[in-house]
Parts: sequence; structure tokens; C-alpha cells
Amino acid sequence: MRRLLILLAVAVLTASLVPMAVAQEDAVTLRIGLTQDWETLNPTSGFAVSEFEVWNVMYAGLTDLSAEDFSPQPGLAESWEASEDGLVWTYTLREGLLWSDGEPLTADDIAWNINTGRDQEWDNMWSTVVNMDAEALDERTLQITTSVPDPKLPNLGVYILPRHVWEPVATDYDAATQFDPAADVPGSGPFIVTEFNKGQSVVMDANPNYWGWEGGEPPYDRIVYQLFENPDAMVAALQQNQLDAVQGFPASSADALEADPNIEVVAGSQGGFDEIAINGGAAEGQPHPALLDVNVRRAIAHGIDKQAGIEDLWFGLAEPLETISPSADPKWLPEIPEADRFGYDPALANQILDDAGYLDSDGDGVREMPDGTNPIIIRHAVNTDGDLAGSIGDLMTGWMAEIGIGVTLEAYDQDALFGVIVDGTYDTFYWGWVPFVDPDPMLSYFTEAELGNWNDANWFDPAYDALYLEQNQELDETRRIEIVHEMLTIFHDSAVYIPMWLSPDLQAYRTDTFEGWVRQPAEVGPVFFTNSSPSYVQLTPIGAGDPTEPTETTVPGDDGTVTTVEGETPGSTVAAAEGDGDDGGVNWVLIGGIAVVVVGGALLLSRRKSEDERE
Amino acid sequence: MGRKALGSALTFVFVLVFNFFLFRIVPKDPIGSLFRGRNVPRETLENLRAAFGLDEPVLTQFLYYVRETLQGNLGISYQSRQPVWNEIVDAIPATVALVGASAIFSALIGTLLGIVAAWRRNTWKDHSITSGTMVFYSMPDFWLGMLLLVAFAVVWPIFPVGGMVDAGSSATGIDLLLDQLHHLFLPALTLTLAYLGEYVLITRSSLLEVMGEDYLIVARAKGLRDKIVRRRHAVPNALLPVVTLTAINFGFVLSGAIAVEAVYSWPGLGKATADAIRGPDLPMLQGLFLLFSAAVIFFNFIADVTYAYLDPRVEE
Repeated sequence: MRRLLILLAVAVLTASLVPMAVAQEDAVTLRIGLTQDWETLNPTSGFAVSEFEVWNVMYAGLTDLSAEDFSPQPGLAESWEASEDGLVWTYTLREGLLWSDGEPLTADDIAWNINTGRDQEWDNMWSTVVNMDAEALDERTLQITTSVPDPKLPNLGVYILPRHVWEPVATDYDAATQFDPAADVPGSGPFIVTEFNKGQSVVMDANPNYWGWEGGEPPYDRIVYQLFENPDAMVAALQQNQLDAVQGFPASSADALEADPNIEVVAGSQGGFDEIAINGGAAEGQPHPALLDVNVRRAIAHGIDKQAGIEDLWFGLAEPLETISPSADPKWLPEIPEADRFGYDPALANQILDDAGYLDSDGDGVREMPDGTNPIIIRHAVNTDGDLAGSIGDLMTGWMAEIGIGVTLEAYDQDALFGVIVDGTYDTFYWGWVPFVDPDPMLSYFTEAELGNWNDANWFDPAYDALYLEQNQELDETRRIEIVHEMLTIFHDSAVYIPMWLSPDLQAYRTDTFEGWVRQPAEVGPVFFTNSSPSYVQLTPIGAGDPTEPTETTVPGDDGTVTTVEGETPGSTVAAAEGDGDDGGVNWVLIGGIAVVVVGGALLLSRRKSEDERE
Repeated sequence: MGRKALGSALTFVFVLVFNFFLFRIVPKDPIGSLFRGRNVPRETLENLRAAFGLDEPVLTQFLYYVRETLQGNLGISYQSRQPVWNEIVDAIPATVALVGASAIFSALIGTLLGIVAAWRRNTWKDHSITSGTMVFYSMPDFWLGMLLLVAFAVVWPIFPVGGMVDAGSSATGIDLLLDQLHHLFLPALTLTLAYLGEYVLITRSSLLEVMGEDYLIVARAKGLRDKIVRRRHAVPNALLPVVTLTAINFGFVLSGAIAVEAVYSWPGLGKATADAIRGPDLPMLQGLFLLFSAAVIFFNFIADVTYAYLDPRVEE
């Protein structure tokens, strides 16, 4: 027993004294907590949001996206012009561009990326550049020729990788997509990955060769992304000033974070949305026949209480949505006339169903088909990998009961559900999408060509398809927006796809460590993990160049005396950045003392006991 | 011995087969699920399905799987596009450090506490040890982990809230080791507390059984001191079931900490498993389950052999 206690005492003391041994560093560090791991840092094939964020910081775009509204801004290219027919784009690069390793960054690098990504069909590149051909006219002049008009230009929307590193590696599709650029691959953005510990952290150091620094100097040295499997621990770390900002905190923590005067909470939208989709009947498997009647679908839409879902599941932090959101930019969302909206109105829903002849003829609370047979009981598929899907299933059951429709819940994990949707063996499901900046991909999902693939509405409409082709090559943006609004209105009126809400990115940052956070797009967007994450270049540490005097904290010692120790002033992230806590030095003396007393006492006690045992 | 080895080998073959079909009971489309919402055209998806062999009949896929696994090739992870084996090897040290340390500490401390409880049965010592360890044993380990995390990393922040090292720290050598120990402490404490109970109970009951034996009365009658009787005569004979339990628990060292790893963001095999399930990353799952099963089978075999060595009565 005594040896046991000694062992424990030694273990606790060693472990708790450790931070004293860890050297404090002076690097000014932005500390970010997130909950999504990085699988790979290879921009040709990775797809996690956490990975895109690292690439946004690491690789400058040919053009940049403005924080305000994603409009094209000078990036690597300082200017560009299009030919009369819009098929040939000529970009002029900034002078003296360098990769972070000092190699020159030329038009040749960019042309190589476009042509190789197209030829080798890199996952993240191919569909963007498939119609393009790029040529470096000289070191600073790049010419992109597209075979069809491409409205997303001049924004290219792909990451430009350093040719001198990638060319020897990227010999074919497999080699390119399986390359593991863990760290020390040069980049062109403000910060470069210097350390990648999968499952733990990514460290990025400031790139002195980046062209965009205000005054030519990076205002801070380093970004550290720390992964938390446990979001509550991440929230605690932010509250204790062990982090400067967090991405993806649980909605249930919003109140606690908002109550902290040094923390700002952001519920920002990048256009991601959730929907309840009704089987449109275009797959082999068919929905309940009632769902093929647009009146029934509209009644269901009127029976769904989005606002209640937002209160229950998002703690009020999400925005209800009327049509699908095709882009991170809200300008693509049409205004649906009040009279055509599917607002929550169970009485109206019941009225519509009554009028269409779907009556509850046997009085069991569930309506039947107009001929009195086949009760309307729908199969709602629950995606067991979705955070909210289970709750939505329960809500759906309640909502439908109000309008005389029965619901059976069927559980599938995500990839099984994908197959079920393709087969059409379901009636409704709840899932979500996150669009790109350009609306084209999201619009394409609901065309006839995507049936059996991304078209999870199992619905199509020739009018929609015709408009899709038109917007796809429309270079006049005002006209293109009109077409897109028309498409979304058609899709809305069909009532096969009931958008629920814009799902917010829940973020929070400390206001006493860094300043300069910008939302993208303005007012509604998140402050980082956006389409180009402009915050990082804008941020400056608070109190930089103005070091305040360390305060003195008095702590009563365990022997009754008062010990004076050095603490750190709030806001001095600069020095505390590397530490485990902002009050690193203070508690250790105290804890050491307490531990000695406790352990000493325990030892004495146990000694006395073991003497007893000897009798 | 030979028969036991053969038994273990057969179990392994069963696992090899079972492992493959377990993840394919429900028809799935992992590629569709993984790539949903990305701007990936249909052709690329078809290419990927072909590249991962998913367009072949299940039986053909199974034959590939057996052939490749027997050659030590566990395939390419869908998510990271790196060989599964490399991914697993990267995560092994973290898990072995965490679960290994907890397995050792809980076995040592649990056995000692069990001996004390039995020897001082029905005293306050016995009651406090048995009920105390039972409380931890019956708590879900992730909950115990959360409680310790809140207590010692949030309310009284003397330990870090998660991870294996300070993110961004450039510590090396002894500093790095100390930093890792600092991060290891709370998760290891959680698992140690969670495992203690079974050792205490097994040791206690086994020792109580031995204490009724005639040879202990003889030992006492010889005038031996209580301590000597306990150490030389009682405990060694009572330890047999504890040895078995320890060996079996070591088999779970690789797979035993999914929930606790998640609470403390500990980057080990448990976390890798959770990520792979989320994917779903079939090659990664198969690789992990194969490894977990192999470890359990191996340590059960070791337990069998050790038991036979320690207790001649169970010799074949």
C-alpha cells in the first residue's frame, strides 16, 4: 500500500510539473481549434473542409475572391482581360513573384497546373479546367483559352501548385493523387505548412515571400491548428485563452460563449443548407403514389415547421430557407413571392389534402388515396451518420401526424443511404449540401443527366435542364442571375426538395488577442473556413509592440505565507501563445506545494497503518 | 501447445473471412458517399470505383482481398489515399502508450488493492477499495474521462485539454517526452481507474478462495508472520486468474480506447477507427479490425501457454 502511494505521488508530481520544463517560445501565434481532422494535404485529391482551409492559406489564387462578395480581385495576377467572344483570357502576373522556397513563380507554373490537372484528371481540378487550355506567353503573361464560354472566369478556382516540386511526382493520376506533401512543400500564400501531425495539428509559418503583406512584414509569425475530437474541450480551451478562435463549436455552447465579454460568436453562412427531399419518382424504385401528386408534396411542405426545428436543433442560430442555396454568395437566391411560399400552416396543408381527395376514410388518423385504399404512410430514411438526422426523423413523424400522414423511420448509414437514393426505395430523407461560389455545380445536380448520380431528388424538368445549359455559358452576370432565379423557382414550385435552413458555421474568436477578423461574404459569412479565408492576412495581434508590464499576483502558500509570483496580463497572447495556459507559471508553485503536502500526509498515514499491520 | 497454435490460426482465418463480409452485409456505395457535394464528374467516380475494385462482383473483390492481405498488403485508404498499413503504423505508438500504460498500472494497482481487500476482508479498507473501484468500473469510461477533464483541465487547469503534445511546440528530446507525459496523464488515469475494478474483484475473490485452504493453516501453524504467509503462500496461488485476465486485456491494448481517445483528442487507433467508420473507409476498417483481432488471438494464445506453465494441472 505504501509503495503504491509513493508510485502515485511520483507519477502525479512528474506529470504536473512538466510545463515548467517546456520552453516558452516568443513566436506570435494564432491558435485555432477545430473538430475535423486532415486526411491528406494533397490539393489534387483531399476533400475535408479542414484541408481546404490549409490550402486557402498556403496557395494564393490566380485571382483572389473579395471578402465583400467574392468578386475577382488581383491575386497572383495583377490584371486580366478577356477577348471579345469571352473565350480567351490573358492574365498579367505581379512582378517578382516567388515561391516560399525562393524559386520564381511564373506563368509557366500556372499553365502547367491547368494542363496537367486536365490531362491527369485530378479530382479537385478536372471539372473546373476540362474545357481550358493554358499557355505561358512569357514569364508574366498567361493565356487561358476555353472551348466554350465559361462564366466563372476570371476566377479560376483551383490551387496553383509549385511545378518544380510536383512535376517529378505527378506522372499520372495515381501518383499525383496519392502523393503525400506532409510538410515543407513550398507555397505562394501568406503561411506555409511546416508541420503536419495527422490527428493532432497543422503548423503554418509566415511566408516572407508573400506579396500581400501590409508594409511588407507579416504581423504575426505562425498559425497553429489544433484538432479536438471533443468539442466541449475545445470550447473550454477558448474560454481559458488557450485558443484564439474555434471552428465548429456545438450549438449548445453558444450561450456560454456569448456570455464571455472577451469572446465573439459568429454564426456564418457559406450557403450550406439542409433539406427534406421527397422521392420525385424518376428512379426505378417508386415513392408512395400520393407523393407523385404535387398537391401532396406542397401539403407536406406546409406541414413542416422549420422555425421549430431551428429552435430545437440549432438553438435559434440558423436561418430558414425557401429555395435551395446554390452558392456561398446570397445574390443567387431568388425572392419567392409571399403567396407561393410553403410557410408552416398545417390547417392549409389539411385543406389541400382534403380538396385533392386524400381523406381519412377509415378514421384511423391516416389519410388514404382518393379511392380509399393504400394509406399514406411514408418511409423516411434516417442518415445515421448525420448529427441532426435522428431528431429530424422524430420531428417529421410529429409534423406529418398533424396532417394525417403516417411515417415509418428507416435507418441507413451514409453510404447505404446513398445507394437507397439511387435505387429510389424511399419516400423522404433529410440531408444537406454545401455549394461552391459558382452556382453551376449545385444547379447541375438536379438535371436529368445526373439521375443515378448526384440527383438525389430523383426529379427532373426539361424546362430546368434547358435553363441550366443556358446559364452555363451566359457571360452577362445580370442575365445569368435571372436565369438561375428562374431555375430555382421552378425547382421550388415542384415541392420535391424542401430546403430547411442555411446551416451555419458556428465560430467564435477572442477579442482580446487578435483583431481584424472579416466575414466572407460581408455581414452573413463566417470569419474563416470560407471560400478564400481573407481574415488571416488582415489579422494583427492586440498589444503587439506595446508590451504591458507583467502583473503581480499574490497566492497564499500552503504554509500560511504569501508568495508573490509573476503572472501575465490578459491580452499578452504573444508570450503565452505557446504555453498550455495563460497563467502557466502561477499555479505550478501552488500545486507543487499542495501536492507535496498531500503526498507527505498520505505517506505518514500509510506508514502508521503498515506498522499496525506488523503486530 | 501445437493444438492451441492450430486453434489460434483457424480463428485468424475465420476473422479474415468474416472481416470482409462484415462491412458488406448492406450494399453500399462508399465512393458516392465520400464524394457527395464535391464537384466530381461521374466519369471520375466510375474511375475511382474501378480503381478500388468496387465495380467487381463481391466474390472477385473477396479473392483480391485474401490474396493481397496474405501478401501483407492491406490496400489504400479511401480517405487519405495512403497505404492502410502506414496509416495504422503511424497511430500504433500513441495507442500503445496510452492503453499499455493503463493496462500495466491497472493490473499492478488493481492486484495490490485486491490483495489488501481480501486480506482485510469486511474491514473499512475492504469496503472502501471494493466500492470505490466498482464506482469507476461501472461508470462509462468516456463520462469518467469528461469528469476528469472538466476537473483537472478546465476548473483547475493543471493538465492540457487534449492532444498528445502542445500544438506548435518545437520541443525535442526530454522536453518532448515530458510534454507527452503531461498530456498522457489524464487519459491514462481515466483508463486505469476504469480497468481497476475487474482486477480488484478477481484478485479478491481468488485470494479469498485460497485463504480457506489447509496449507495456509499449516503455514500459520508453523509460526510464520502474517505478511510472509500472504506473500509466499497465498498470493502466488491466487494469481492464476489474474494472469489470464492481464493477458486477455493486453490483447485489447490496441483496440480498447475508442471513447477515451475521443474525449482527450488522443491520436491513436481508436480515433482512426472512429474516423474510418465515419468515411466509411472500408480498407482502413478491414485493416484495423484484422489487427485488433490478431492482437486478441495472439494474447489469448499467450495466456493459454502461460497458464499451462504456471499451473501444471492444466497441461494438455
